Amino acid sequence: MKTKLTIVLPLMVLLGACYPNGPEYVEDADVVATSYDVKYDFKSQSTFAMPDQIVVDVEIEQGDTTYEYMAPKFATVILDAIQKDMEALGWERVDIDEDPDVLLTPAAISSTTYFYSYWYDWWYGGWYGGWGWYYPPYYTVSSYTTGTMILVMADPNQASESPINRSQAVWTAAANGLLTGYYDIARVTDALHQAFAQSPYLKTN
Amino acid sequence: MPSAMKKIIILALLGICVGTSLRAQNNFAISYSIAMPTGDLNTFIGTTSFRGIAFDYRYTVRDNVAIGFSAAMNTFYESKSRDTYTVDNISLTGKQYRYSNNIPLLATATYYLSPEEPLKPFVSLGIGTMYSRRNTDMNLYTVELEAWNFALQPEIGIQYELSDMTALHLSLKYMHGFQAGNELTSDQSYFSLNVGFAFF
Repeated sequence: MKTKLTIVLPLMVLLGACYPNGPEYVEDADVVATSYDVKYDFKSQSTFAMPDQIVVDVEIEQGDTTYEYMAPKFATVILDAIQKDMEALGWERVDIDEDPDVLLTPAAISSTTYFYSYWYDWWYGGWYGGWGWYYPPYYTVSSYTTGTMILVMADPNQASESPINRSQAVWTAAANGLLTGYYDIARVTDALHQAFAQSPYLKTN
Repeated sequence: MPSAMKKIIILALLGICVGTSLRAQNNFAISYSIAMPTGDLNTFIGTTSFRGIAFDYRYTVRDNVAIGFSAAMNTFYESKSRDTYTVDNISLTGKQYRYSNNIPLLATATYYLSPEEPLKPFVSLGIGTMYSRRNTDMNLYTVELEAWNFALQPEIGIQYELSDMTALHLSLKYMHGFQAGNELTSDQSYFSLNVGFAFF
């Protein structure tokens, strides 16, 4: 039996060592999700309006709502990319006052997930009787932060048909990825291009 | 030593050797297992798995019949390139990492075609269960589907005696796990080529 074990053990180590890898780069975890209202007639629309800034956070203090915006040097690049993609699909950007067919509202949010673990250690109480636990002596804390770029398209003309005077989103796009310290804006614009590329139904006549 | 006695000793030794090799012996085989997915598993992961190990124990009950057990692990993996997956009105683009871990646990019956020869071809049938765990990783999430399949495994192979204690072991298995549970909705199957040693 001894000889068998000496063969089995190295094999197990070998197998453990060659277990397949997963993602290697943060970009590998990037995803783009889109969904649309199947009943909405995109083809008969032609103009859109969108803000010049991108909301990244909302603060509500004593009933006052204030928005935080993305720094212009990033926001401009992102908004330009959205406009170019929309124009490529036949849309024309107009001002919000010019009665646009649809509104595009971009927003960016980040969320950080913390996870920590600790484990108990035990002691033996000698004559006082028995075993016990003391805790928590060891902590490990890790976190990751994901960023999500959200783009919502809504038709303001639908609001009148809603009891709460709001329009439902006819198209939403969400691009999610792990945030790094590099602020690589190309990852965001690539994701936006993908969002439009996988939504051919947005094309207007 | 008289020459007659020498002859007797030699003949006696030969007799022992012949006697021991007259029947296939109990043996335990460890093999490196290369697996090729078929059917639904092939649709999920199209690549050959080079990560596998198989253990086969055979206990001889008649000259050319053995019963035993078979356990193995085959890990399939494919890293898909960035692609778009559409369901109804939702499209999702990203890179998928697909894994399938398959662990068959089987009782086996083996028939040796020439148990007295050093080269022993055999056919075998395994019956039992296979644990299948399929993971699809995308973004920071994994979708995990598990099943305990009822499994059948026909096998053909050869054992070639290298010495009184060891033999080369080579076999081709077809593992078929029948659909089970409500997570994995299809049969799981693959071929595996097993190369290893058998110890008597």
